[in-house]
Amino acid sequence: MSKDNNNLLEVKNLKKSFDKKEVLKDVSFSIPNGKIIGLLGKNGAGKTTLIKLINDLLTPTSGEILVNGNKIGVESKKVISYLPERTYLNKQMKVTEVLNYFEDFYENFDKEKAEKLLKDLDLDITQKLSKMSKGMQEKVQLVLVMSRKADLYILDEPLGGVDPATRDYILDTILSNFNENASVIISTHLISDIERILDEVIFIDKGKIVLQSDCDQLRKKENGSIDEIFRRMFKC
Amino acid sequence: MLGKLLKYDLKYMIKNMSVFYILAIVFAIITRILLSVEQTIIATIIKNITTGCMYAMVANIIINTLMRSWVRFRDSIYKDEGYLTNTLPVTKNQIYNSKFIQALIFFIVSFVIVILSIAIAYLNKDRWELLKNYIKGITTGLEISSGLFISGFLGIVFLEMFNALQCGFFGIILGYKQNNNRVALSVLFGFIAYFASQSIVLALVFIVGLFNESVMGLFTNTVLLETGALKILFALSMIIYIIIIWIMSIICKKLLNKGVNLE
Repeated sequence: MSKDNNNLLEVKNLKKSFDKKEVLKDVSFSIPNGKIIGLLGKNGAGKTTLIKLINDLLTPTSGEILVNGNKIGVESKKVISYLPERTYLNKQMKVTEVLNYFEDFYENFDKEKAEKLLKDLDLDITQKLSKMSKGMQEKVQLVLVMSRKADLYILDEPLGGVDPATRDYILDTILSNFNENASVIISTHLISDIERILDEVIFIDKGKIVLQSDCDQLRKKENGSIDEIFRRMFKC
Repeated sequence: MLGKLLKYDLKYMIKNMSVFYILAIVFAIITRILLSVEQTIIATIIKNITTGCMYAMVANIIINTLMRSWVRFRDSIYKDEGYLTNTLPVTKNQIYNSKFIQALIFFIVSFVIVILSIAIAYLNKDRWELLKNYIKGITTGLEISSGLFISGFLGIVFLEMFNALQCGFFGIILGYKQNNNRVALSVLFGFIAYFASQSIVLALVFIVGLFNESVMGLFTNTVLLETGALKILFALSMIIYIIIIWIMSIICKKLLNKGVNLE
């Protein structure tokens, strides 16, 4: 299938229901190459559902998702590097085994880079994941995800549950480890922490995209930071 | 990619099963040693304990091979690890085939370990002769060779196990398509699939019996009138099992290819 309008990701009329509850309602948007996009919304707005659908972890009720013009499948998974909001690695494995696992399955995985990043973080690669704290496991996962030369990085709540110092490290790691043509989608509700690195924002509320805009234009138009605009828009 | 998936599935099983294999062999060796020494009261007590432990390990191996295969299937596709498995650049068919082949390999390994443990503990020249005569008695009655009888018997046992394994996979796939009570529904769907597969085997044998008196004799008589009926039953059951396993694997893969819904 050919690439549609040079968009890296195309989401068209996407709906997802659980039983009778509609969690995503006719969601459509597209993402070009080379952007860092904040997927912002309150808890339960549908951010994680949307991300899971892009990663083939949920089945859409209707609609279409295209990555580089391909439907979700083997080809899309080759170019998407996904960080879920939970620890998902087999805890019986050592970090070295996980590195080998990623090297085996992802052609674009840079093992040397991962080892360097893990060393910078003072993480022992001979250690079993089960012996590591949740925070350490999350750092290992972030390193694995950012050590792939992917076209699209999808990070679901990468800052959730980490201290402010580590948040800065995570953001710096994201900024310094993706190539210019790749795009990054960061889902979070900790807007003030990530605002500085965002090019675009997508606001999602009650399963609908309520805004997609360039960050600078939005700040200028609404005369405030993204955090302030978000707070005004979603005031309870 | 199937080879790579299989490598990690096998590693998982080796990590989890090797301790039971080693313990079964160790208890078998101890039992063998204690059987050869003078049967004092203490030796008898220890022998009884190690024999019990060996049988417990043998039972454990058989049950664990099946259970671990189901747990591995569920955990790596539908639990937290599913976030990795389902985002790998592999097809759902490859994921399914890897789990199935891994289970097949470990059924065979477990079977070998079980036979080996029992042989280490008890096999001697007299028992070997007794076993040979026993099998010869059966095969003479059935008018088949010992090799054919053993391979037929093992074939049925393995096909029955593979069928149970796949019914479990089927139950898990259907159960985890639901939004609630996933574990309970997995067990329920698995049992229904197993019951249905057994009923199909029985029904097809009965249908064959309508055209073959000796086969019908298995349903209507309390004693075996013709040994030929058993041969037909064995052969028919194997063919039906193979067809059921093949059809069910296609259904399982189709259901899996429709997508997963991770929590």
